Amino acid sequence: MKLPINYNTEWEEGFLKRFDEDGPWSSHELFQLSYEIEKNTLITEFEGLQSIKYLPHLTIYNHQLEVARNVIEDMNGKAILADEVGLGKTIEAGLILKELMIRGLVKKALILVPASLVSQWAFELNQKFYIPAIPQKKEYVWETCDVVVSSIDTAKRNPHKDIVLNQNYDLVIIDEAHKLKNAKTKNYEFVKLLKKKFCLLLTATPVQNRIEEIFNLVSLLKPGHLGNEKRFGEKYEAKNRKFTNGEHLKKLVNSIMIRNRRADTGMEWPKRVVHNIKIDFSKTECELYEAIRNVRTSEMGMSNAFTLLTLEREACSSREAVYMTLKKWLQEEDISIYRKSQIDFLMEKIHRVEKNSKAEKAVEIIKSINDKVIIFTEYRATQVYLQWYLKQNGITSVPFRGGFKRGKKDWMKELFKERAQVLIATEAGGEGINLQFCSNMINYDLPWNPMRLEQRIGRIHRLGQENDVHIYNFSTKDTIEEQILNLLYEKIHLFERVVGELDDILEKIKKINIEEYITDALSYSSSKKEVELKMHHLTELISEINEDEEELDAAK
Amino acid sequence: MLQNDIRKILERFFLANKCTILNEGDNTLTVQLTIEMDKLLMNRPFYWHYLEKTGGTPQPQKVKFAFEQLEDQKIKAEQIHFGSPRLHQIFNSTRDLGSYVRLYEVVNSSGIRTSLHPWLNINAKIEYKTNLSKQQLLSIGINLISGKIVFDFIDLVNRRNLTSKIPDYCFTLSPLITPKSGINRIRTVIEHVINTNDNNWINDANNRIDHDLNLLNAFYEDETEITEEYTREKEAIQELFNPQINVEPVNGGIFYLKSDLSA
Repeated sequence: MKLPINYNTEWEEGFLKRFDEDGPWSSHELFQLSYEIEKNTLITEFEGLQSIKYLPHLTIYNHQLEVARNVIEDMNGKAILADEVGLGKTIEAGLILKELMIRGLVKKALILVPASLVSQWAFELNQKFYIPAIPQKKEYVWETCDVVVSSIDTAKRNPHKDIVLNQNYDLVIIDEAHKLKNAKTKNYEFVKLLKKKFCLLLTATPVQNRIEEIFNLVSLLKPGHLGNEKRFGEKYEAKNRKFTNGEHLKKLVNSIMIRNRRADTGMEWPKRVVHNIKIDFSKTECELYEAIRNVRTSEMGMSNAFTLLTLEREACSSREAVYMTLKKWLQEEDISIYRKSQIDFLMEKIHRVEKNSKAEKAVEIIKSINDKVIIFTEYRATQVYLQWYLKQNGITSVPFRGGFKRGKKDWMKELFKERAQVLIATEAGGEGINLQFCSNMINYDLPWNPMRLEQRIGRIHRLGQENDVHIYNFSTKDTIEEQILNLLYEKIHLFERVVGELDDILEKIKKINIEEYITDALSYSSSKKEVELKMHHLTELISEINEDEEELDAAK
Repeated sequence: MLQNDIRKILERFFLANKCTILNEGDNTLTVQLTIEMDKLLMNRPFYWHYLEKTGGTPQPQKVKFAFEQLEDQKIKAEQIHFGSPRLHQIFNSTRDLGSYVRLYEVVNSSGIRTSLHPWLNINAKIEYKTNLSKQQLLSIGINLISGKIVFDFIDLVNRRNLTSKIPDYCFTLSPLITPKSGINRIRTVIEHVINTNDNNWINDANNRIDHDLNLLNAFYEDETEITEEYTREKEAIQELFNPQINVEPVNGGIFYLKSDLSA
């Protein structure tokens, strides 16, 4: 097979001109040196990683090298990098980008990451990989710079969108790619429209709830790899409970996705030490909680059951969280007189609450740790309250929220590192900040989705963490919180597990979205008995899978 | 490339560019740049612009390169290693500054008039590219009188003594083959080398295109017309795998040599 040869004629033209005009000529030494440099930097094989030679100061782990090699040579540079949280997906992506740049295969690259990570990515690519990556700040950057880091939210909005979609990217990297699991979102649509040759999707949680999620991710990289939507549905969907096609699917997915587990890396990892801390409500807190619970159970099965459930969860966090929600309800226009009196009644209870028992416990723990601590809460109002309360107790803290602008997030992280003892983060802040300099975490309230909890822990339990990681899980006694903790976190031993196994479990439960399931059971059952039955069912299901796992492990 | 090789390259580069080596420590190299090198490497156009406007005395910078992490953090030095952007800047400058030569063989003629044969040399880098890439470097010379072609030209002439000024009592023969057609003959030789190489990689690349296009067609099999989306994906696949061969001369020149070259 013969190919046309593209000949660069620039040199020839220069030579003929010099020949005619008798110069100017180069020095023999520089001519010779240039030839030798060329010879010494020549890449003579398709295989192998050149980039290692270029990165003498970077500690690269074996699993990371293997990922880079695999992606470039065996996966044609299109892959889902799905290592567990904290194994260094950024390093893997950086290595691949570097290698493709050295080999002249990538010039123009776009890196889409959560807003909070834009500066960090740009910094790491520059510092660790000597790749001149530019954080997108001005509009002209899209066209004039070769390697641009941006948030997807910026890139997908006009005026940026049109410019970005006009570029021919050699490589697109998307961090936290599980956000693209839903094909009907604007983000998904946008990424689909990007013109790209190579593409890397980074996520620690490629499947969170449903098998279609992996279909959507794979179809971004390689449409047709898992068939089209219709066929995929027929083949692998829930109707086919037996999963006769499971093995086949796994093979297909594995040819486009790499997933390393902590256990596979052969590295020594700091331990996770879990403290489940049960907290007694004070008398007044208990009264508020019971009042809300009574309202909820009396209205069980009705249309507002879900919102009442939220209220009950909030009561486990802080009276401030409850207050903010009630206040919002009061402002609704079509509020009934009945509801209004109910709210007034609850407001009365709120005013009687004289302390926050969890907050007291938190202060006690923070003081005894005497080192940096991250507190996660689900509620904004709790976050604000805690900030105030810690200050009253002479503890320095900084807040962290998903809604912060990029610069503010960087600043808060820096403040936490250098000045403050505590960082108080809401859920949305959980993704995409790396805080391995801190080894203590308080889960002030618990998310109902186990994967989200894993994301939280991954902020500190990652490469670079040198100490054992201490996780303090708060739950208030005799509340819905305790129920959930027992169910999810003690039954499936979530905290000791690593997320890899957790995916396996979730994949097997397949159709069940745990969070939705619980919410559903609690909100829409017609009796207490039904709730118990449903919860029992879920518990059974989970422990069955657990036992399967253990048998499997034992058989190995 | 070892740190010691890098040191040698830096020394050769700066000496060839008339810079002064001020100090050579165990782990460091300190260079006094010339005005030209300062302008070329140090990226401070405002300083030079200012100086031109005010007519001050130019003070080109001194640079200290460190080949290992220095223990004394206070010493201001540029870390240099194979991946450092500075080294690649120097590589690129070397290439720009060393593209074209005209050299003569040193002949001890003892007063006898000696003729020198013109040779055209091209050192070309061939790039084989699909979703992977590799390179090959060829050094080819052609005698512009006889038409004789030799490979590894640079290695052969390096055994001889070369100079940039024509030696006494020597004269150069005029080419019978013009440089232009010499260039074309070298191109033909390069093409021949490429075509006799193992070219399985081209078939492999085409197979990958077919494979992915088949998947793509299956993905859109329910569409009744060709959508923009389909076209975009199709182009991306071709763009990714499309096998290409690119040839780019790195440097070369005209050499006047006394006797014939043989390997």
